[in-house]
Amino acid sequence: MLITTLAWIVLGLPLAGALLLSLWPGEPDRNLSRVIGVGTVALGFVLTTIVFFDLLSRTPSHRHATNALWQWINVDGLHIDLAVLVDPLSVMMMLIITGVGSLIVWYSTEYMAEDRDYRRFFAEMNFFVFSMLLLVLAANFFFLIVGWAFVGLASYLLIGYYYEKPSAVAAAKKAFVINVIGDAGLVLAAFLIAKTFGSLDYAQVFATAPTRLGGGSFTAEMICLLLFVGCAAKSAQIPLHTWLPDAMEGPTPVSALIHAATMVTAGVYLVVRCNVLFHLAPYASDYVAITGAVTLLVAASIAIVQEDIKRVLAWSTVSQIGYMMVAAGLGLYSQAMFHLLMHAFFKALLFLTAGVVIHALSGEQSLNRMGGLHRLLKFASFAMLIGCLAISGIPPFSGFFSKDEILSTAMAAGPLGVVCAVAGIIGAAMTAFYMFRMYFRAFGGPQREGGYHPHPHMSGLAMAIPVGVLAVLATIGGFLQVPWGRQLVTDWLAPAIPDQSSVEASATVEWLTSLASVSVAAVAIGIAWWLFGAGPERRLKYAHTLAGLRHVLLEQWLFDDAYESVIIQPGRDLGDAAIRTAEPDLTQGIVTAAAGFSMAGARGLHRVQGGLVRTYAFALIAGAAIVGLVVVLAR
Amino acid sequence: MPWLTIIIVIPLLAALAMFIVPEGDVGTARLVAALGAGLTLVMSVLMLANFHRDFPGPQFVDHAGWATQVGLDWIVWVDGISIWLIMLTTGLFAIAVAYLCFRTPDRPRAFLALIMLAEMGLLGLFSSGNLVLFYVFWELMLVPFYFMIGMWGGAGRKLASIKFVIYTMVGSLLMLVSIVATAVIAHGITGVYTFDIVALRNVDYTRPESIWLLAGFLLAFVIKLPLWPFHGWLPDAYRESPIVVVALLAAVVSKAGVYGLLRIGLPLFPRGMAYFQYPIILLALVSIVYGSLVAWRQPTMRMLVGYSSLAHLGFIALGIAAIDPQAAQGAVLQMVNHGVVVVAAFAIVGIIATRTGKEDIDDIGGLAARAPWLSGIFLVVTMASLAIPGSNSFAGEFFILSGTFRHDWWAAAIAMIGVVYASVYMLRLYQSSMNGPARGGDPRRVELRVRDVVVLVPLIAVMLFIALWPQVLAGASSASVNAAVAPAQVAVGRPPSEIRSVVLPNPLPATVSSASGVTGGASQ
Repeated sequence: MLITTLAWIVLGLPLAGALLLSLWPGEPDRNLSRVIGVGTVALGFVLTTIVFFDLLSRTPSHRHATNALWQWINVDGLHIDLAVLVDPLSVMMMLIITGVGSLIVWYSTEYMAEDRDYRRFFAEMNFFVFSMLLLVLAANFFFLIVGWAFVGLASYLLIGYYYEKPSAVAAAKKAFVINVIGDAGLVLAAFLIAKTFGSLDYAQVFATAPTRLGGGSFTAEMICLLLFVGCAAKSAQIPLHTWLPDAMEGPTPVSALIHAATMVTAGVYLVVRCNVLFHLAPYASDYVAITGAVTLLVAASIAIVQEDIKRVLAWSTVSQIGYMMVAAGLGLYSQAMFHLLMHAFFKALLFLTAGVVIHALSGEQSLNRMGGLHRLLKFASFAMLIGCLAISGIPPFSGFFSKDEILSTAMAAGPLGVVCAVAGIIGAAMTAFYMFRMYFRAFGGPQREGGYHPHPHMSGLAMAIPVGVLAVLATIGGFLQVPWGRQLVTDWLAPAIPDQSSVEASATVEWLTSLASVSVAAVAIGIAWWLFGAGPERRLKYAHTLAGLRHVLLEQWLFDDAYESVIIQPGRDLGDAAIRTAEPDLTQGIVTAAAGFSMAGARGLHRVQGGLVRTYAFALIAGAAIVGLVVVLAR
Repeated sequence: MPWLTIIIVIPLLAALAMFIVPEGDVGTARLVAALGAGLTLVMSVLMLANFHRDFPGPQFVDHAGWATQVGLDWIVWVDGISIWLIMLTTGLFAIAVAYLCFRTPDRPRAFLALIMLAEMGLLGLFSSGNLVLFYVFWELMLVPFYFMIGMWGGAGRKLASIKFVIYTMVGSLLMLVSIVATAVIAHGITGVYTFDIVALRNVDYTRPESIWLLAGFLLAFVIKLPLWPFHGWLPDAYRESPIVVVALLAAVVSKAGVYGLLRIGLPLFPRGMAYFQYPIILLALVSIVYGSLVAWRQPTMRMLVGYSSLAHLGFIALGIAAIDPQAAQGAVLQMVNHGVVVVAAFAIVGIIATRTGKEDIDDIGGLAARAPWLSGIFLVVTMASLAIPGSNSFAGEFFILSGTFRHDWWAAAIAMIGVVYASVYMLRLYQSSMNGPARGGDPRRVELRVRDVVVLVPLIAVMLFIALWPQVLAGASSASVNAAVAPAQVAVGRPPSEIRSVVLPNPLPATVSSASGVTGGASQ
């Protein structure tokens, strides 16, 4: 089996890289770190393209293969193999992970050049790529969960990369714990799947699900809701979204790779992977769509007031994943995957360009201290503009096609679909507004007094080329799938998605939706220009008038405060109360009384001197030894 | 070859040999202990190599008559469950001795002799084939721990050791009563007067008999485990003992309680276990949640790990009380996993505490910058301890909870709270010591040295091996686990499709008993 062997190699390469880099004795040469760090991922991409073309050459129904390395465990009939599944969906994810991944890792070689812990960075990046590949390649729910948790660990390590910074350490812990909550949901889903199907293999579960579960059954709904707990935590959907903005404490390439292009979209991947199950669970699917719609609006509203360039992008990621969840919840699985792919391009582009800016300004991330950068950083300005146009859904950039397809198809997908589409259009307006707010404030207008060094340093080729490649992809990527034209992504994924919704929007709806979303986006860009580009002083005036709303948005709709006061602090209090009362009173009461009684009774023994006690010990040992010897000799 | 007798006697001989070692000759004392522990380990590995993995009954049976008229004899054996506890004991004691060889305690001869004696007690306990022997070893292993806590402990050692002994004694006295009663009542039913564990399997007691007989054992087991609220001895013992003793208490001695449930509770008193099933599940769940919350708020590193152990043992007890082959298999896996992981955690805590001179979590910080190897290994141990999917501990926890979920989904769901809190308290321990601004003196001194690597690397290797291929353990224990759980499954009325082992009535109906022996076992 050529393709599964290649898949194992693609999976093994970054793992080998991570191990090699972390176990290398002493501090390895920087070039070596670079070669291993980038090489394993880039080679993985090359091998993945071979897998891709091999699959492409087959008839669609034969485009899948599984292979098991060894039987991991077999307990009471539950049989789990360490196995990979190569199919159109996993190969598409592999292409994103290794393709975008190698661009970002290459970019990091320059971005992290000043860092003293160079090898640790690449070791952890390689570990992430390995984990993410394991997540998408796993052929059963068990190793999906393993990959799922390992990407969480990699994310934890890279968010907390600057571990001297208390804020980074706290952000890392928050991300880890919220993801463990998600893992718990996934694990419970796996228990229910194992109980229902007697197996955790995708192939067996999906093949027998329609007959064993039946549409709309309680079990089907529960499985999907529990799976979605995991998806919501990983993909930062309400109410488990609060970790992602804080995750921006990590280095910018990490934000681009893990917290934009790949890991955070794993939740979308899982819903699409389990399309057979979600198809049987209409209520759970509706819940997914509603969560997506609410998330995309809330996150977009918060993005409007962010002052940190990376946090704008982080909230926009939350919001964009909301669109994908809307699509996935409405059964528009291939549309969700198409947007996932486009988002990987333009969001990686936006983050890497932000990285160019931050790098040039020696670590400055606040929009307050930027302005007028267009003159100084022309390349970054154009790249950022392309990214902003793409995410705002302006034709012909990539985001237009993918977002538009979700919205117009949703319009035709029943009442919930219409509601979600309307939310999506409102979200599109906000998206365009906050993206261009960021663009005009960073690149437009005059340079701010005392904001930054007047001669920012330029980035080299290792940073510029990945940005350039992603800019091209973000510009033309949308043509993979155009209305009434070739539907390359949908066609490619068709064999892996038997339950793709067959809803199709009529030409009128399609046109009207496009018109609506593009025009509101254009208006929003205009307002952003009016507020931030043309007259920067206006923004302060409006900020003042809308102070109340601004406050709620700056507090991020108070989710963090609510968790702190409702969940975290009561937990602390409970633990402290247990230590204060239950431990001494309940558990110690009896035992202390018993010990005291014996102390009083055995005061004579208590007076025995230390040396004598030792003698007593040896007497006991000797006694025990004699008993033992007698027993042995009695044989 | 009397494998088990030899394995039990070697540490005893090593302990005795300490008499000959001249006082003050630390080198020879170390050598004797190392030889004793090393040889025991080698023998147990050889035994494992000869183990028949698919055979559910006793293997390597050493049997010698003693006072056979009253049902007393020397009978030791292992099956798919106890072999792993024997391996755990020999392995961890070898590591403990290695640790002690590099950091010689005061009065090394006596301490090492006591360690060897403790090893003998545990090995005897895990291989006992009859209840009297089980009881003798159960009490015998207390003695060395009493002295180790009482003579080598911290300031409050006196109270701690007395608490430990009194509390566990109270529990085990009732066990002795139960043992005698078991034999007497069983005699009335089967016509055979015996303490043999195999012969006493699934005796047809009435329900009240089964419940009361088990109750006597149960108290001893839950105190030893310990389960909430019977963990009263734990805080003092853990706070005051030398770190090696704490590690062994948490890793091995606690398993005696779990082992008792598996070896005696489930097969001998299935109806009693059916009666106590939900009380034990409840206590296990409270231990998990309570242990996690209290661990989170502990001020010192060793108490944090200590209370986390309370939570982890709650998981193991849950796996047994679930009365499900999958959960019980998970519990057996987890006994080994927990032992390995908790020893590694205590070893790291010990290294940090001795090098920085500080035990409070808040006094230590930022060690990772200057001690990358320590921080890397600590990370692995932290992840194994919080049972991240893909770790060895996850393999055990997954099956414990998956088996529990089948019949009591709510119990698995509540246990998940402990899974989440495990990440909270373990990350607190890891992050506050390794990350943040540097505190607690010169971090360079903390970096791992050869003596630490000798202790930690074997533990990490075992964790990785089990994480990658748990089937080795599961495959060799599943037959025994299924046999142990089956009688209780019948007692709680599980459908026959879930019962993986034949449950023979005891006494056998006259027509069958002549055809197949009840005490059948393969002797090597």
